[in-house]
Amino acid sequence: MKRQIRLALLMTLPTIFAGTAMAQMSATEIVKKAELAAYYAGDDGRSAARMLITDAQGRKQMRQFIILRKDQSDGGSQDMLVFFSRPADVKDTVFRVVKHTDKDDDRWLYLPGLDLVKRISAGDKRTSFVGSHFFYEDVSGRNTEQDNFTLLSETDSAYVLEGKPKDPSSVEFTRYEVTIDKENFLPTQIRFFNAQDQEYRHVEALKIETIQGHPTVTHSKVEDLINGGSTEMQFRFISYDLGLPEDIFTERSLRTPPRQWLDLKD
Amino acid sequence: MKKQALWLAVAASLTILPALAQDNEDWGDDEWDLEAPSSALPFTGFAELAIGNRVVGTDLNDALTLGDARIRLERQEQFGQVHVDAKVDGRYDAVLEDWQGQIRELSAQFSLTDKLDVKAGRQILTWGTGDYLFLNDLFPKDWQSFFAGRDDEYLKAPSDALKLSWYADVVNVNLVWTPKFDPDNYLTGEYFSFFNPAAGQLVAPNPPLSAKAPNSDEWALRLFKTLGSTELAFYGYEGFYKRPIAADEFGMPTFSRMRAMGASVRLPWGPGLFNAETAYHASLDDKDGILANIPNSQWLFLLGYERELVTRLTGAFQFYLEHTQDHDLLLSNSPAPQWEAEQNRTLLTTRLTWRNSTDDLTLSLFAFYSPTDSDAYLRPSINYRLDDHWHMSGGLNLFMGADQHTFFGQLEDNSNGYLRVRYHF
Repeated sequence: MKRQIRLALLMTLPTIFAGTAMAQMSATEIVKKAELAAYYAGDDGRSAARMLITDAQGRKQMRQFIILRKDQSDGGSQDMLVFFSRPADVKDTVFRVVKHTDKDDDRWLYLPGLDLVKRISAGDKRTSFVGSHFFYEDVSGRNTEQDNFTLLSETDSAYVLEGKPKDPSSVEFTRYEVTIDKENFLPTQIRFFNAQDQEYRHVEALKIETIQGHPTVTHSKVEDLINGGSTEMQFRFISYDLGLPEDIFTERSLRTPPRQWLDLKD
Repeated sequence: MKKQALWLAVAASLTILPALAQDNEDWGDDEWDLEAPSSALPFTGFAELAIGNRVVGTDLNDALTLGDARIRLERQEQFGQVHVDAKVDGRYDAVLEDWQGQIRELSAQFSLTDKLDVKAGRQILTWGTGDYLFLNDLFPKDWQSFFAGRDDEYLKAPSDALKLSWYADVVNVNLVWTPKFDPDNYLTGEYFSFFNPAAGQLVAPNPPLSAKAPNSDEWALRLFKTLGSTELAFYGYEGFYKRPIAADEFGMPTFSRMRAMGASVRLPWGPGLFNAETAYHASLDDKDGILANIPNSQWLFLLGYERELVTRLTGAFQFYLEHTQDHDLLLSNSPAPQWEAEQNRTLLTTRLTWRNSTDDLTLSLFAFYSPTDSDAYLRPSINYRLDDHWHMSGGLNLFMGADQHTFFGQLEDNSNGYLRVRYHF
């Protein structure tokens, strides 16, 4: 009898282990799929974007820009250009990024007043993107290799995953919970927790639209739950697979914006 | 009287403009304003009040080093394939006690072929890898603005030039032709005193120093290419020294001919960015270094490194060497050898920049120090962006040196502090 139980246990163990392995696999798989859905839709893309920044005192600021993106490979390197049009003091400033997954991104900033192409050294990507509550990393995508993921819960419509940094000293959070829509694999909510396990930063997709077959977050909001303040970001005039030429993602476009690709139409 | 009128006008515009420029900060649902300017005004720009004062008094100049009431208007238009850019400054300058107008940009930009861009007219031009150090960037600088604490933008003076840019797989080429030589806005004595070797002392001439600029043209060339993350460039220049450091037969300051060639590289290295640049400035009017009134040829070298030290704090370091050719001859022919720079003049610079987490406050400290000249120049500054319209800046320009004749040492009496308030519209 005892022996039979032991045998039965031995026989079920592999299944249990396999089950755990599958859950882990699927957490990573979900995250990879979410990354592709959120940051790699189409082979290239263009969008107008604007941010409404509200500080803790309720004062409002605005940023408006056009983003051009081209993927070198799905889930791999990406070329990006960000052309600022508002407010007046950053008008005509252009930000160029070559996002790498295996090394630091290459970043340049064009300052029109000085005609200066300023190269920016690699830095903490969890710092404010042009004065907003979004981080550089929120805009370009956090490398999924930097965190370990586990599946916390699952409903009919969404997965809730927990991400824990592999190098906790490199980030300000100890963990985050990300809700990923099962249908389109877009992250719809991210809650960041600090060392006291208090939620201090909240990112939420407020509106999702399907554009050329790609479900796309067109309105999102990030809130600073400790100091107050939030930033809303809206995207419009989105198009994918425009066939953006590779050679516009160069220094030339900083000084001479490729106007034929910046002419927006719905 | 004029002065008061202008301060009043600017004060008034600082109150009226905000009302006119009230844009839709609450986001109407469809107010994207993709084409239209962001306000009711047909142009963008800013109004600025800037004031600066000497830290210590001097007999040579007034205490005031900066007194600008400035209006900037900017407008861009697209005429078919031609993009036209206009930026105009008007200011009352309380140091000069006069009105000053300047077109900073009036250029037309278009593509001749899909690989060839043309930009013609008044424009700001910059290239090279140095931070406040220019080896191959021989476009005009405005040192008076730089030392007075005007916005960094004003360090670059505009050129009236034709710029051709050709982009090819092998290499990219910029060719800039300036029909009439554009000198730097060098020290004239109006804002700042300087050392005059002929007089053997500090001077602030009145009428101000004004060297006649040659009527000839200038050529500047850059070949550049990016290989992976590495940026390579080669440079050429044919024209004149940008400051009147030569003397004519009457001993008056003048511009002598110069040809430059150089190269630079910039690439990520470890956690930061590394850059190296070199240039050879050939003194065409004194190739052998014999003439006492003409500068000798020089080799220039620059090494730089920049990295984020901790989150939002960036540190940068530069080593710069200026090697004068035929230095022995220079000394033996010089009327004042005791005031000539050493054969190898070195300069170290550091830049520390800190930004707060909301990215609206920037503290910066730029320091030049020359071990060979025993002089230094410190530029601490603070910039605060109150909102999309109001910006405030303050800082110091502190010069110090063991001797009166060295590059920064001569400026010791010009050490100043400044404050600027700007309203963008």
